[in-house]
Amino acid sequence: MTCRPRCSGDMGLIVKTSARAIIPLIGIFGAYIVVHGHLTPGGGFQGGATIAGAGILFLVSFGLDEMKKHYNKSLYSALEGIGGLVFLGAAMLGMGVAFFYNALWHNGPFFNGKPGTLLSAGFLPIMNLAVGLKVFTGLISALTAIALYRRWKS
Amino acid sequence: MKRTIAYLSLLFILGVLLYIANPNYGLVFGPGGKEWLSLRYTDNYYITHGLKEVGGMNIVTDIVFDYRGYDTIGEATVLFTAIAGAVALLRPWRRDES
Repeated sequence: MTCRPRCSGDMGLIVKTSARAIIPLIGIFGAYIVVHGHLTPGGGFQGGATIAGAGILFLVSFGLDEMKKHYNKSLYSALEGIGGLVFLGAAMLGMGVAFFYNALWHNGPFFNGKPGTLLSAGFLPIMNLAVGLKVFTGLISALTAIALYRRWKS
Repeated sequence: MKRTIAYLSLLFILGVLLYIANPNYGLVFGPGGKEWLSLRYTDNYYITHGLKEVGGMNIVTDIVFDYRGYDTIGEATVLFTAIAGAVALLRPWRRDES
């Protein structure tokens, strides 16, 4: 395979234009899956993996050089840690009864609406958001690390 | 000849799968009907009590985040450890740059 003059690792014009149109839609769909995790099929893991798929599409279509401009390692590591800590903290909210007791749903100040509405189900939306953030940043970090790894000289 | 045998074996496997999946005379995956309630009372408990105790319409989310929360913690820890190891191992090493 011959190398184009720029050789920056990106794909052609058609792929880049299609990706520019599709990536926001994939992101919106993943955010919908995460936010509605306690109402419809799906949840934090699945929605986070969907949003990470949008990031991976950006990586493979625009190339590694463009990804390096938008990827901040310390920010993504911090966001992944924050996601895990929020998950554990939401689990500890009902510590008076048991670990993983849904205290917000039984007698909480918020997230206690009618079942089936968006602001219901206690800590489930918080946990879905935390796990979605964690999975999204983790998968993006892993794929960028794999793409950055080059033992040979280019 | 080889191709014909391949297609015939694929057809045979499809037929076996269709026979197995038929609920009338195929394999039976666990009991059904009334016996189901006496043997799988845990499933029935989640289906009937999940909405009242946890509050989510999605029973799978109820189970994953409330009844089986420790499993989710372990899963998140495994994911965190795997990604930390991948990022730590796959970054460019100082030895490679010389």
